[in-house]
Amino acid sequence: MSSHGGTSNPEYVNARVRSRRAALFEEDDYRKLARMSPAEIARFMEESPAYEEQINALGSRFSGVDLIEYALNASLAEDFEDILSWCEGALYGHVARYLRKFDAWNVKTVLRGVYADTDREAVSDDLIRAGEFDDRLLERLLDADSIEEIVELLSGTVFGRALGDALDDYESTGVLVPLENAVDRAYYKLLRTDDLTGEALSEYREFLEAEIDFRNAINTLRLARSGADIDPSEYFIEGGVLFSAAGLRQLASNTDELIQRIRESRYGEELSEALTELEAAESLIGFERALEVALLEYADSLGLVHPLSVTPVVSYVLTKEREVDNIRAIARGKEAGLGPEEIESELVVL
Amino acid sequence: MLEIAPELANVVLQEGSNAPAIPSASAAALAVGLAAFGAGYAERGIGSAAVGAVAEDEDLFVTGLIFTVLPETLVILALVTIFLV
Repeated sequence: MSSHGGTSNPEYVNARVRSRRAALFEEDDYRKLARMSPAEIARFMEESPAYEEQINALGSRFSGVDLIEYALNASLAEDFEDILSWCEGALYGHVARYLRKFDAWNVKTVLRGVYADTDREAVSDDLIRAGEFDDRLLERLLDADSIEEIVELLSGTVFGRALGDALDDYESTGVLVPLENAVDRAYYKLLRTDDLTGEALSEYREFLEAEIDFRNAINTLRLARSGADIDPSEYFIEGGVLFSAAGLRQLASNTDELIQRIRESRYGEELSEALTELEAAESLIGFERALEVALLEYADSLGLVHPLSVTPVVSYVLTKEREVDNIRAIARGKEAGLGPEEIESELVVL
Repeated sequence: MLEIAPELANVVLQEGSNAPAIPSASAAALAVGLAAFGAGYAERGIGSAAVGAVAEDEDLFVTGLIFTVLPETLVILALVTIFLV
């Protein structure tokens, strides 16, 4: 793990990140990829500097869609680990704040693995080694035999306290939900934007608030659609600007009002088309994709106003994530026998 | 505090003496030194960005080097003061 001390070094990190960003696939490349077979996609990825190493390393063990999937995960993990290791000082904290999302994912995967008695290999394959946890901690988590042992191992991390508190709930109910909620809550609590002051960081704060607002909106819409009698404020994530816990409870029962609220917010302009579609077609999938595109647009313009801050790094992280998701969607779509047009409609591109 | 102010002004303005507080040669040396300080500060950011770019793509070495030493012109221009005094 890199040092947390010292002064920020945004110049160095930004130069490296921008260079990597230039090497990402463009929209034309996706169009080409959507017309290739999995083997051809793997060959195409091998020619790109971002994936060459991973494809070569994994090529002897896997083939087809599996090879693409593992290479994507490995490349993502390596990229984000690199970024974290370059960052120093305050910059490290700001980048790690967002990348802890993968730690949360890993903790939940390990918990589920132990709960469902899955074998170690399968759980290990599902981990994305991109967060702040180092390999040693992850190996020890994989070796753990019980939920209690995992909670104990994590006691020193940012998830420690929340998990410790939720352990009693788990023991009395016997279901994983309290622990998983605790992990999510701990992650979103760390995203909290109170300490991001100053002009340069205000962009980053706005982006994080958008992410939290969108997550709240999606959760509420899903709950409203499912018709389940669950209090939406149970799943409410603090830190956004659009909703409050009490307001959300009211909006969950009245979807039209919720849509109206989003339309009047600062996201209204970007999302207006998707909102109209949501009102008409009642399809959540299209709306979720519209939210992703809106976030990506945010990310694309991030870092143009304040080049020497954390924003270009976050912008790259998001774009890379999206690229990995898109290539995975293409490969999986090909495997399922979808046509190029159908696959292209599933992609999140600007 | 206020009563010593005129006294201080006298010392600073070197009342009663014709020699300036800083002789011109020393002033020129200070000018060069301060310019070098500024150049160093500018190079700090450019240099670290250049090293980052070179680490990603070695072809950028020459470009990076040129941009890194650009602020050095500050010192060269400041050297003119040495010849002027």
